[in-house]
Amino acid sequence: MKDQNKAVWIGVEHLQNDPAFQQVSNSEFVELPLIEQLSEESALSTESSRRDFLKYLGFGIGAATIAASCEIPVKKAIPYVVKPDTIVPGIATYYASSFVQGGDYCAVLVKTREGRPIKIEGNSLSKVTMGGTSARAQASVLSLYDTSRLDGPYLVKEGKLDRPRNKREAGPSWEQIDKEISGKLKPDANIRILANTILSPTTKKAIADFTTKFPNTKVVMYDPVSSSAILEANQACFAQAVIPGYHFDRARVIVSFDADFLGTWISPIEFAAQYVQGRRIPDILKADISRHIQVESHMSLTGSNADNRILVKPSEQGAAIVALYNEIAAASNAARVTGPQLDAKKTTKIKEVAKELLAAGGSSLVVSGSNNQGEQILINAINNLLGNYGNTITFNDASLQRQGMDRDVRTLVREMNAGSVNALFVMDGANPAYDLPDAEQFKNGLAKVGLKVSFAGVANETALLCDYVTPTHHYLESWSDAEAKRGHYSLIQPTIAPLFAALGRPGTRQAEESLLRWAAAETLDLTAEQPYLEFLKNNWKDTISRQQSSFVMFEAFWDSALHDGVFAAPQIDIQVAFSGDVAAAAAKVRKPAATELEIAFFETVNMGAGQYAANPWLQEMPDPVTRCVWGNYLAVPVKWDGNNDFTSLNNLNGNEIYSEADKAEVTVDGKKELCTVIRQFGQMEGSVSLAVGYGRRATGEMGRALGNKVGVNVYPWLSVDADGNTQYYATSVSVSNAVDKDKEFACVQYHHTMGVTARGDNGELVKDDATGKPLNVDEKAIMSLGSGFQGGLTNRSIIYQGNVKTLEGLVEHIKEKREEAAHLNEQTLYPFEEYKKEFYEQGHWWAMHIDLNACTGCGACQVACTAENNVPVVGKREVHRHHEMPWIRIDRYFYGDYENPNVVYQPMMCQHCDNAPCENVCPVAATNHSSEGLNQMTYNRCIGTRYCANNCPYKVRRFNWLDYTTADLFGINENYVNGEDLPFAADNLMRMVLNPDVTVRSRGVIEKCSFCVQRIQEGKLTAKREGRKLVDGDVKSACQTACPTGAIVFGDRNNKESMVSKRIENPLNYLVLEEVNTQSSVFYAARVNNRNEALDA
Amino acid sequence: MSAPVSPIREPLIEGGKTYHQITEDICAPTERVPSMAWIIAFMVAVACLTLYIFCVGWTIWVGIGSWDLNRTIGWGWDITNFVWWVGIGHAGTLISAILLLFRQRWRTGVNRAAEAMTIFAVMCAGQFPLIHMGRLWLGFFIFPYPNTRGPLWVNFNSPLLWDVFAISTYFTVSLLFWYTGLVPDLATVRDRATGLRRKIYNYFSFGWTGSAKHWQRWESLSLVLAGLSTPLVLSVHTIVSFDFATSVIPGWHTTIFPPYFVAGAIFSGFAMVQTLMVITRKVHGLQEYVTLQHIESMNKVILLTGTIVGVAYLTELFIAWYSGYVYEQFAFANRVLGPYWWSYVGMMTCNVLSPQLFWFKKMRRSLFWTFVMSIFVNIGMWFERFVIIATTLARDYLPSSWSYYTPTWVEIGLFVGTLGLFFTLFLIFARVAPVVAIAEIKSILKVAGDQYIGPNAKHHHHEQETTTKSTDTHH
Repeated sequence: MKDQNKAVWIGVEHLQNDPAFQQVSNSEFVELPLIEQLSEESALSTESSRRDFLKYLGFGIGAATIAASCEIPVKKAIPYVVKPDTIVPGIATYYASSFVQGGDYCAVLVKTREGRPIKIEGNSLSKVTMGGTSARAQASVLSLYDTSRLDGPYLVKEGKLDRPRNKREAGPSWEQIDKEISGKLKPDANIRILANTILSPTTKKAIADFTTKFPNTKVVMYDPVSSSAILEANQACFAQAVIPGYHFDRARVIVSFDADFLGTWISPIEFAAQYVQGRRIPDILKADISRHIQVESHMSLTGSNADNRILVKPSEQGAAIVALYNEIAAASNAARVTGPQLDAKKTTKIKEVAKELLAAGGSSLVVSGSNNQGEQILINAINNLLGNYGNTITFNDASLQRQGMDRDVRTLVREMNAGSVNALFVMDGANPAYDLPDAEQFKNGLAKVGLKVSFAGVANETALLCDYVTPTHHYLESWSDAEAKRGHYSLIQPTIAPLFAALGRPGTRQAEESLLRWAAAETLDLTAEQPYLEFLKNNWKDTISRQQSSFVMFEAFWDSALHDGVFAAPQIDIQVAFSGDVAAAAAKVRKPAATELEIAFFETVNMGAGQYAANPWLQEMPDPVTRCVWGNYLAVPVKWDGNNDFTSLNNLNGNEIYSEADKAEVTVDGKKELCTVIRQFGQMEGSVSLAVGYGRRATGEMGRALGNKVGVNVYPWLSVDADGNTQYYATSVSVSNAVDKDKEFACVQYHHTMGVTARGDNGELVKDDATGKPLNVDEKAIMSLGSGFQGGLTNRSIIYQGNVKTLEGLVEHIKEKREEAAHLNEQTLYPFEEYKKEFYEQGHWWAMHIDLNACTGCGACQVACTAENNVPVVGKREVHRHHEMPWIRIDRYFYGDYENPNVVYQPMMCQHCDNAPCENVCPVAATNHSSEGLNQMTYNRCIGTRYCANNCPYKVRRFNWLDYTTADLFGINENYVNGEDLPFAADNLMRMVLNPDVTVRSRGVIEKCSFCVQRIQEGKLTAKREGRKLVDGDVKSACQTACPTGAIVFGDRNNKESMVSKRIENPLNYLVLEEVNTQSSVFYAARVNNRNEALDA
Repeated sequence: MSAPVSPIREPLIEGGKTYHQITEDICAPTERVPSMAWIIAFMVAVACLTLYIFCVGWTIWVGIGSWDLNRTIGWGWDITNFVWWVGIGHAGTLISAILLLFRQRWRTGVNRAAEAMTIFAVMCAGQFPLIHMGRLWLGFFIFPYPNTRGPLWVNFNSPLLWDVFAISTYFTVSLLFWYTGLVPDLATVRDRATGLRRKIYNYFSFGWTGSAKHWQRWESLSLVLAGLSTPLVLSVHTIVSFDFATSVIPGWHTTIFPPYFVAGAIFSGFAMVQTLMVITRKVHGLQEYVTLQHIESMNKVILLTGTIVGVAYLTELFIAWYSGYVYEQFAFANRVLGPYWWSYVGMMTCNVLSPQLFWFKKMRRSLFWTFVMSIFVNIGMWFERFVIIATTLARDYLPSSWSYYTPTWVEIGLFVGTLGLFFTLFLIFARVAPVVAIAEIKSILKVAGDQYIGPNAKHHHHEQETTTKSTDTHH
């Protein structure tokens, strides 16, 4: 009856607590089984029925299945607690900076995503590089994420880093190392700082400050591929020990004696842009392009772009220069010199060259890559007689990109061996134990130096011989500056916090800061948050900001310079007068050797002098000329045997097409090396060539040394001349017959020629008996059973080329061929016109134009594409198996005289055909077409039948043969690149370079160029957000932005104002394989040369 | 059956067989302990099959990179083997369907084995389109199944999709046809068996009683399936040839491919039947059922189809030259003279020159030469597919991308492995099922048995027929 007190009751029955009511009210709602069950005694019993068993079994299996199948690696995404205002997830931030590696320079914009630098773009504000880049600059971002970088300072013991046995433990602290080094530095110590060219004025200031504390300090600069003879020659002729500013754009006739100015010589990005300016044909009616004559023995990138090449052996370069000087001098009433003589045939050619030069007068340019003082003085004299100084050569913008003096390093080696050097600091980049011709003497001397410290960021041959390695930052983590040319300053700013310090390791430290700390220099404010930044700013305040008048306040100037990345000070006019001694110079030039065979050593576009060996993007970028990767290959000359076969020196490498190469023993001055050989068109008979920069033995220590044991080290073969200058050729060389086979010959293109002709013994063109026309050697050579060297290729609509003098004929020829193709294409099942009206002409219609006349083949676009699109690195063996992955490649074809051919470079990527053969054959519709004319690839849908790749006439589709990216379903079948501990692609540090906007493709799917669809999308979204139409230039492909010469233009062809639309109007244009009716979207403008036939015979 | 019998026709069944004797002869191999030769052959076949399984596992685990295909040559041994095996399958269908329509009685001696060969060959063929996929585990994408991916559907324009339908239809119909034919024969075996064997055969013969109704339905079904198979003989390889013919690659893009492929398929199919029957008839003592006349007839087909493909090869060369199209001209010049010249020579020698031997009757009737030639043709037809696929891809439009291709051990292992699969299945088949269609061969006894038409046949057929029948009942 307790319930009587209830405040709320329902009716009398409730109030009275009537049992009948209670019955009803209890059953009003469904019974509560749980409570009831719990209240029952049996519920507590642990016995279970068979039914329960089945229930639990079912649940258990179900749960286990779900749990097991859901087990995926846990990856934590940690949001910002306090969001930095410069970082918006998903939006890239760009910082202006400068790529500097020794004398290599490029003004860049660094693209960062969520705080990670992932891509390098050119900085178009720079007056030096004009927004262009090089393959090296493009690849430099990868070296930031190199696992073999040192995570702190280390002691080196017995050629090895003294690291804790447990690699997870940190090494010694900076304090400890600083104490040890400072303790060993006596104030009167003879200290030498050894470096490659130092472009940074602030570094020089830091060294100067260091020197005030240690007055017996000297800086020794050298460059492995040296230009010290030019510096000496200019000192002798003009009292200016610099490399002058060259202006290839102003030159009508360019003569280069072995200077690879488009590929590697001094400032190739700048020179390529200038050069192409003089080579473009904006109007075919007024076509007038410069003439470029290259005098060399091996086919360099520059030589391959030349109109004419005059083949002289390396030792004959001096004689050739003397001959040219005498011709010019004779015409200008100047004193002739006596020097070594060229043979009559070559002299005739040099005479013709002189004629050309004299006709061009002050708008000509003669350069030489020679490192012989006498030759460089003569080159100066020639330019002087031609009146080029002040026109095509100037000193007010002299280049500082090569400052190394070979004789200084020779002195250093002598001093070291004499035991008079107390301490040696080796700056990052310099690796004398590897790249000096006298490296052995250097090593001997090094043992006698009391204190040896290397600033190398990655352990190298020299660092492992030092006592300490105190690694400096990568340039993307550094504060610094550069003065590449007089008055052209640029800044380097960090785009990421130094990597290893952030991980709790001692981390890296700027070399300049280390030096200043060891010197206890007052100019370094140790209390500052970033001491070296303050040091840099102070230096700019004191020196560089004084050269400008736009800003009153330094801070404003600094912010502006930092924002732009570059600052050009007003030019100071420098007039020079030639005062060189040509007679003495002529006595110094190289003497032609009597030996039968000579060898030239040269630098490649990708590997440089060897500094880039640990960068797999560069290792895997095919050499533009040989098209080989992962190694240096001895180039031997090719000879047509007059019948139906090509032979080569000692009959080496007949079987290239089977991916086989011979190895031969090369002996230079008694030193032997086993080299893989490649037959090379354009290699002079009686000469061979081999690149420097390979054969590194130590390119890293931390479980990854991707550049180790790649190719052959040729530095021990270099010699030093009487002036102490390093010479890049040898005359006593012998090449054996094949002694072995290279089982992994990695070359991406064997077939070289597209219509070459031959000459008989007397230099006359070999004629076809039947037609009387010059014999097409390709077609002739097909008749050899089993090799079919080329055959019938001349008619293919792949390459169109012609001479500028017969431009109208070329235009007519292209027109005819295109009309023929159009006629063939009328008979089609594909309603292209209908699609065009309905889709393509409605919105955007993306297209690309490539000017073959502007493409020098430098390969910057290929590395840029690799970086932008997460293209995997596959390693030498995989390339050997033709499994290379690049989305853009640069096909190289030879035409003309087989012994001395011209070259066309053709960048080839997905042509985005509007009648795409790949699309209709895919069984699962994984590749399809967009209404904007893009040929799209849906990786998720791809099952990997490779039918599309087979049916692609351009062979641009790439298949993921193996698990190159660790994006695979399985975990342990990854591909190793070059003997690393952890597969390259599985390395989480390396993976930081991946572009988050581009899917990483898994094994078993096809991939290809997407026209940088992520950039198109970004451009469209930006325009939409800003409520405007997309304008030309909003979307640029990665290859386009990388190109130093503007050969590639991408855009919307529906926009009649766009650059691509305008370029599509060019009558030199054609579509590759137009008659296949693929309706491709990439237009090519024919290659036009300015060959002088008088130089042929 | 009282079709007119020509006395000049050679008898198709020798040895004066009676109906009972036929049953005895053909069922015997299923009832004996296997011979040592069979056991050894089976062990070798299973060893190869094991290799196959290993190589498939390896391919899936490592990736297609375990093969030596490359950026230029996307198909090599894989699709060569596929086309080769599909081609081999054709003889079975031709014998069971087309020869039925043409009333070629000799087909009854070999049709069972040939159909079995078809099924096993198509099984082998079907492996390759699967394992050549980069991502086999997503292979189900090629089926047009309802999905939740919006309008995402298979691409009906793709010849590879047509292949999926062509091959699966072909396999299904062939399997049904073959098994339908087997049902009464399995019942015959069952009737002679005891114990477990009887139960098993009973299960597989679907409770066949031999009633008139059963025979009537069986006849109808066989007819329907024969009708279905007939167009398949032509369609399957036509569609396989579309994989190439519809592409834009010079050397693939030719209209001659469908008839050329079908002729080639029949050519290689008959060669494989010869290879198998020459051995089987010896091992199983079936010389009286698969007589020299059978062998000769098939050799004639080989001669005819071999000559057809020869004409096709020459036509291709002529058209390439006549077209004036540089790419086509180069593709064929390259086939003949390029780095793969040896495979072209192999193809021409084995497929075109060597069958010409069969113009001589002595050769057609020589078991030794038949066997040798059948192997030659099999090799030649493999080369033909290799020439078409790999050689063509190796050098197409852009010389910059030209390449060369040699197989890895995995690819060779896969090919040898499918031979293992094929022979394992065939050897099992030869042990457990009658390799000659008992019911069918009995139906021609009186029109083609040597006691009726052969040199020993008595005159006055009708009288003889009754007496033989009566003697048969006494057995």
